[in-house]
Amino acid sequence: MNDKRHDRRDVELDRFFELARQAPPDISGVERNFETRVMARIRESREPWYAWTWRLAPIFLVLTLLVSGWSILFPTVHPADPVGSLASGTQEIALLDYLTGE
Amino acid sequence: MAVPDEGDDLVRSAIGGDDEAFAEMVRRHKGTVLRIAARFARNHAELEDLGQETFLRVYRDLRSFRGDAPFGHWLSRITVRVCYDALRKRRREEKDVSLEVLAAPVADPSTGNGPSAQLARMILDQAMSRLKPEDRLVITLFELEDRSVREVAELTGWSETRVKVRAFRARQALKRCIGGDDER
Repeated sequence: MNDKRHDRRDVELDRFFELARQAPPDISGVERNFETRVMARIRESREPWYAWTWRLAPIFLVLTLLVSGWSILFPTVHPADPVGSLASGTQEIALLDYLTGE
Repeated sequence: MAVPDEGDDLVRSAIGGDDEAFAEMVRRHKGTVLRIAARFARNHAELEDLGQETFLRVYRDLRSFRGDAPFGHWLSRITVRVCYDALRKRRREEKDVSLEVLAAPVADPSTGNGPSAQLARMILDQAMSRLKPEDRLVITLFELEDRSVREVAELTGWSETRVKVRAFRARQALKRCIGGDDER
């Protein structure tokens, strides 16, 4: 009984294999221009590590533009008369010297 | 002694760095590689990956090809190795397949009541995804590619005994999957 069941399963499996062999997978879509794609990948794998750095150029360009825009829109505030402010600082020191008697 | 091969000059040129020669080699052998890989790939994208990976390895290891056997044999061994690696990687990712899907009855194809060849392949694919990578590799080469035990042993680099044991185990597992587990 058990042997018969095993026989039936073997026959079924063989039938599956036979049918599957009759339907080989379709490779035509992948076969088309396959060598072109392989050669492109090989060339890519041969490139030195720095060969792709030029691809970063747009990122650096955008960064430069952003920094430039920022500096134009938000300029650093400088004192209106830097010499005057220096002089006033000097006067303060002179006054301090006079008051302390030095 | 080295076996002369029709593509010997091509191989020598490719080893010398001739890209055109290598492209010609790919053109000549892509059918062989893709036909083997297609038995293991789940879709066209995976087939493309397996094919490309095979030729990338061929390109890298071309200098180690000594010409003791025809180039085609060496290439087939690399293809099988790439497919086996992919199966092992996939095994970690795949989930279990439900047994109900696989328990489809197969009638005699001569009566026209059985599943189509396409359906049979699909069911087999599902059932085989449950096998261990070693078992799947062996049963695919043995049953679907119709290779002999000796050929499978050469392609995999395993002993003939190991191939036979793997094939037997794979058959047992497939019978359980496809026929339904009525021993319970």
